[in-house]
Amino acid sequence: MDLVFLNGKLVGKSDDGKGLIKALIEDRRAGKLPSSLNTRYIEETSSVMINTDGGRLTRALIVVKNGRPLVTEEDVKLLAEGHITWNDLINSGKIEYLDADEEEGAYTALSEDEVTKEHTHLEITPLSVFGTQASLLPFINHSNAHRNVTAVKSVQQGVGIYSTNYLIRMDNDSMIAVDQQIPLVRTKIYDSENFSTHPLGQNIVVAVMSYLGYNMDDAVIINKSSVERGLFKSLFFRPYKVEETKYIGGQTDSICVPDKDVIGYRSEDSYRFLDDDGIVPPGAKIDSGDVLIGRVSPPRFVSSVDKFRLGLQKQVESSVECKTGEGGVVDNVFVTSTADGNKYVSLKVRQDRTLEVGDKFGTRSGQKGVVGMLLNQEDMPFTLSGVVPDLLFSPYSLPSRMTMGYLLELIGGKVGAMGGRYIDGTSFTGEDEESLRKELASFGFRENGVELMYNGITGEEMKARIFVGDMLYIRLKHFVANKIQWRARGPIQLLTRQPTEGRSKSGGLRLGEMEKDVFVAYGAALSLKERFDSDKVTIPVCSKCGLISVYNVRKRTGYCHLDGEDAPIKLIEVSASFKILLDELKSIGIYPKILLGRKV
Amino acid sequence: MEIPQKYIEAYRKKYGEDADIEELRKVYERSLITTGEDVGVIAAQSIGEASTQLTLRTKHAAGLTAINTTSGLPRLVEVFDAKKEISTPTMEIYLKPEQGHSKQKAYDFANSIIEVKAKELFSSYALSLSKKSIEFYCNRDAIKAYGLTLRDIQAKFEKLVKSMSVEGDTLIIKDKSADSVKKLIKLRNKLNDETISGVSGIHRAIINSTQDGEFWIKTVGSNLQHVLSLEEVDQSRTSSNDVMEVAKVIGIEAARNLIIEEVAKALQTGGLTVDYRHILLIADAMCVDGEVRGIGRYGLSGETESVFARASFEIPLKHLMEASMFHETDAFKYVANNVMSNQVIPIGTGSVKLVVKENGKEAKTDDTGKDKGQ
Repeated sequence: MDLVFLNGKLVGKSDDGKGLIKALIEDRRAGKLPSSLNTRYIEETSSVMINTDGGRLTRALIVVKNGRPLVTEEDVKLLAEGHITWNDLINSGKIEYLDADEEEGAYTALSEDEVTKEHTHLEITPLSVFGTQASLLPFINHSNAHRNVTAVKSVQQGVGIYSTNYLIRMDNDSMIAVDQQIPLVRTKIYDSENFSTHPLGQNIVVAVMSYLGYNMDDAVIINKSSVERGLFKSLFFRPYKVEETKYIGGQTDSICVPDKDVIGYRSEDSYRFLDDDGIVPPGAKIDSGDVLIGRVSPPRFVSSVDKFRLGLQKQVESSVECKTGEGGVVDNVFVTSTADGNKYVSLKVRQDRTLEVGDKFGTRSGQKGVVGMLLNQEDMPFTLSGVVPDLLFSPYSLPSRMTMGYLLELIGGKVGAMGGRYIDGTSFTGEDEESLRKELASFGFRENGVELMYNGITGEEMKARIFVGDMLYIRLKHFVANKIQWRARGPIQLLTRQPTEGRSKSGGLRLGEMEKDVFVAYGAALSLKERFDSDKVTIPVCSKCGLISVYNVRKRTGYCHLDGEDAPIKLIEVSASFKILLDELKSIGIYPKILLGRKV
Repeated sequence: MEIPQKYIEAYRKKYGEDADIEELRKVYERSLITTGEDVGVIAAQSIGEASTQLTLRTKHAAGLTAINTTSGLPRLVEVFDAKKEISTPTMEIYLKPEQGHSKQKAYDFANSIIEVKAKELFSSYALSLSKKSIEFYCNRDAIKAYGLTLRDIQAKFEKLVKSMSVEGDTLIIKDKSADSVKKLIKLRNKLNDETISGVSGIHRAIINSTQDGEFWIKTVGSNLQHVLSLEEVDQSRTSSNDVMEVAKVIGIEAARNLIIEEVAKALQTGGLTVDYRHILLIADAMCVDGEVRGIGRYGLSGETESVFARASFEIPLKHLMEASMFHETDAFKYVANNVMSNQVIPIGTGSVKLVVKENGKEAKTDDTGKDKGQ
């Protein structure tokens, strides 16, 4: 007796579960049941699972009967000529969709030659074992699977044109590549996904060699002259948004050029780009610290002194300024209103992000690295025919990672560039290495892709032959300009007087507990004290009662809360955080009495 | 500086009686730790860095005859924390020459120390409230396998029960005072847990042999006091891996040596080389008070003299409150409290002070803030 489950719920029982499944599948193939219905027999619990609900992943496979796939050459021909459609094949039961459950019972052949009598299904193309993104990568059947995963992640981070209406969008982290190319080596899926309408990356000449030591450990050397010609140029947009909020009590923000009597008024210079409406116009070349949108807000807390001066409440400055280290050109300004009817201003600052040392690169074979050096064209190595590579890739990146797809793409790109055509790099079914090598030889190159090269600095012929070719490189979104951080002096926290934390607040890097121990282990006591001097304060202590007292440094007078005017007050240097600790001890009722020793 | 006599002797033995002592002095003084060197932090860093490379997971050797002991980082933590109950206590029992060189005698001894509980010898039991009795049905095969007889069980039970009788394989125990099933069950549990033979706490014993043909025993479970009292055992070589037990049975010096041994072993099996002297220092610090103290909240770090050093380690409120109740004074002689208050730490270059007497006079005692800035 078999149990029958419909969408996971027990609906009945059957004397012959396997027969039921057979009948269900036959009816589905005949078109009597929906093609999205899937079934499976579970031996362990002797139950029949029937799935008709939504949200299941399904995939199309060719049905095999008695060792023969039902889709014939004739069907393919008719489909190509447009006489039949995909749906016709499904309705006639030649192709069916399997879900994860029914896949368990299917025996699928990868190619037509493999089909035996036991097989139940045939893969439409071996490429269908990959997802959309992986099938865009060339020759990945030649690379390590882990590298292909890395490659997909790399390509996801590529800077291209993420949206055609990016000019009017207000996205954070919006980056646009100025010039993009269709890859010389591409896959069949690339065309069917219409990727050439919004390509990613540029085809550049790559030489696989070490040079000057600046491309070790996954760094690359890039031809500076190529960069000056516009290679990998990108734009970065930073949106700023400001709302003219209305507060309870009729008070309201106002977007304007702030008056000079406003609390927190910056210098007149900071407001120089503002138009009369208090907003910078498009095209203004602003720098960090310049005000983009001027705004004044009503005072947040009305102090007791101000209460007596009615009507003379000063407004508080609350303008939006350009972030530190991010100058640029104002690209677009929008003035609208929010759902509450408040005035809403948003604008975008555009920055040129020309390639610089430290920017990141990726390829479609999982080889990624950062720029180690920008080298002038005259110093770069060149081939016999005078070709200067755009990029020098370290050969030490290859043996341990076994990304043979990288080398095949290089040869393929070279053939494509010489032959003026696109190379089919589809995995399993693309052009094979042998034919690419033959074609390369027909252009007068060595069939293995290596060339004689000359040292660009000394002019000497290089002893080794260098592997040169064309391939697609993608600039990734990790720009150094967005990550660089430094601090010598800067803002501190209000409570602890310690330096702020984080790049956006121009913070310092914490010297933590374990780092402290290193100073201790070295016995560098005074260096350690100096490192922690960032929150040093001088506090007056009454040496009689041991509490913090009051002291006027200029008049050299002071008093103690307990011992009065004549108290013996001494100044000691401690960290501000220690003073807070003493204050907090007092707040929980502990009397922290400071006993002062003799000064040495 | 005085050179210890043993070094002078060793030096003379190696280089001759008239060797230059000044040479030895140079080497000796160079090997000494410099004044103010923070050996504690260096030891902590030396072991701490190395132990990050130790495997956290212990290998599990299921089904092997070899005894599986905790190793790697968990073992290291166990030793440093001075755990009262360690996860895999084992003993290495060496025997006196007579037993140690005969496999049969060693085997017999090993079997004799394995703890056998009464419940292992019974196949089932029956309680009767009306008869006020418990009937244990003995497992004849099990009793035979352990080399025991029903009399052995009786002998052990005699002290615990008032009346006992035997009918075939059934042991009948009567207790007239039992007026509830609960009491009977309590009695049954008590009898079940009675050790019939062997040393309590030793669950398994496995024979090993050295290359010289000597047999020694490795055990699962440890009971040092009992095993050392046995006649066949060579007391000078028998050991346990339970630091607290060794400290209790043999003494603090033995515990210190065991700590050193166990830490060195844990690091060595992880393929790490840490200078022996770092381990010595930590073992000394753990044993200096005459009892083994772990490193942690309830050990070394929790008993520091400085209030702020303790408070900065763990549970600050508890330490601060206690300090205020008992009027404690912090002399600011440690690293933690001086770093907190941004003072020079008394370590390394901070351990020296320069005192200048102006014209032979003492420094001015009246150093008020009023003098500042003049």
